[in-house]
Amino acid sequence: MPEILVQYQAEIWQSIEETFIMVGVSLLFAIFLGLPLGTLLFLTRKGQLMENRIVFSILNLFVNIVRSFPFLLFVVFLIPFTRWLIGTAIGTAAATVPLSIMAVAYYSRLVEQSLVDVPKGVIEAAVSMGASIREIIFKFLLVEARSGLVLGLTTSTISFISYSTIVGVVGGGGIGDFAIRYGYQQFETELMMYMIIIMIILVQAIQFTGTTISKVIDKR
Amino acid sequence: MIKLTNVTRTYIQNKTEFHAIDSISLSVNKGDIYGVIGRSGAGKSTLLRMINLLEIPTSGEVVVDGQELTKLSAKKLRLARQSIGMIFQQFNLVNNKTILDNVLVALELANYPKTERKERALEVLRFVGLEEQIAKYPGQLSGGQKQRVAIARALANNPKILLCDEPTSALDPNTTREILSVLKKINEQLGVTIVIVSHEMEVIKSICNFVTIIDQGKVYETIELNPKGIGDSNHTPEWFLQQLRDGESHA
Ligand SMILES: Nc1ncnc2c1ncn2[C@@H]1O[C@H](COP(=O)(O)OP(=O)(O)O)[C@@H](O)[C@H]1O
Ligand SMILES: [Mg+2]
Repeated sequence: MPEILVQYQAEIWQSIEETFIMVGVSLLFAIFLGLPLGTLLFLTRKGQLMENRIVFSILNLFVNIVRSFPFLLFVVFLIPFTRWLIGTAIGTAAATVPLSIMAVAYYSRLVEQSLVDVPKGVIEAAVSMGASIREIIFKFLLVEARSGLVLGLTTSTISFISYSTIVGVVGGGGIGDFAIRYGYQQFETELMMYMIIIMIILVQAIQFTGTTISKVIDKR
Repeated sequence: MIKLTNVTRTYIQNKTEFHAIDSISLSVNKGDIYGVIGRSGAGKSTLLRMINLLEIPTSGEVVVDGQELTKLSAKKLRLARQSIGMIFQQFNLVNNKTILDNVLVALELANYPKTERKERALEVLRFVGLEEQIAKYPGQLSGGQKQRVAIARALANNPKILLCDEPTSALDPNTTREILSVLKKINEQLGVTIVIVSHEMEVIKSICNFVTIIDQGKVYETIELNPKGIGDSNHTPEWFLQQLRDGESHA
């Protein structure tokens, strides 16, 4: 192992842990809020089962606004809210606030798009069999869209890693922040390179896992 | 069994009203294989979809098995739909579920007794001749086999009525004949009333006892078909007769 990695071992492990926390929390939000929100976005669209212009417009606006912020600005913009919510605007916990909100908006849009790809006839068949909306969602829509949902989550995770490096500005920590503070600002170019390599490996592993799972569960 | 009275379905297209279905009345008796024929865009699918209220009529009554469907609560309507099977041109199976699971889901929706679901699913799959394929996914089957799965799914909950929207239009002539004979068997052995929509006279002629010709959202004529084909009729439209002649020269 290169000497410089040994030297900074403790900090590196800590930064990896911070990245995992930030991305992990974002993922939980994406799954538990982004998935339902994306499903609702889809269902309230024009011509869909719960068509509702008002609800759709509100959700759509929320998603668009959040996603149109440059992420750094979004973090700064949210500082008062974060402080109110967490008690501080600095640190890994505080960093998860803008990340999670972005995660919900980001994944919900991808969920909506995956659901749009489900053939309309499948929903129609479900309705003709007397399925309720709940049954249509769980027994038809999510089943048929599942590989797209997994791919979307994969793309999201990778974006969250990238976003998590940006929240270094509020002391969020993580691998990216570490690379900038030690590598770039203290001219440890070698260290920075190693950090970049770690991130590349991480992203590759996530993409590979996501692609593989989505292929295995896709029987279409 | 099915009675439509003055049903109308109006769409707004470019700010003008367009009557996809323009005051149609028809009745289907128990045990019929009732055909609806018409050119593309005539309103066949819209009409068929009114029978299970997939399409809500702008006005008119839809009475199925004694119930006026437009007056039912959402819950009662779902129950009513569980005894009206439906199959489609594009099969509309869940491609991520196995053949068996595609049929099982229909039974789950209908709250079929849990312990008997699998047995029932296997029974209908056997009926359509697919007992060997139950672990496969729809993507591994031919078009004709997929339509058989769809039929099994539609039959699973013992419906009294089976609605068929162009069930053979995506299939080759041989497969078409096979599917039609399955439909005939369903009618004869299970006593299921069938309504079948098609633009192909061959299909209608080979299994229906009644046919309603529709054009531009209106009924042109309803004709009783006897085993020899079509009965006497004065005002059968020319395009229809043409199809009939074409059909004959093929046979
Ligand atoms: N959702 C809709 N909005 C507007 N027009 C529609 C809609 N659905 C069907 N139509 C129109 O109604 C007419 C009948 O359609 P359809 O019943 O699908 O015809 P068919 O099944 O006989 O080919 C067509 O002209 C079609 O364009
Ligand atoms: Mg049609």
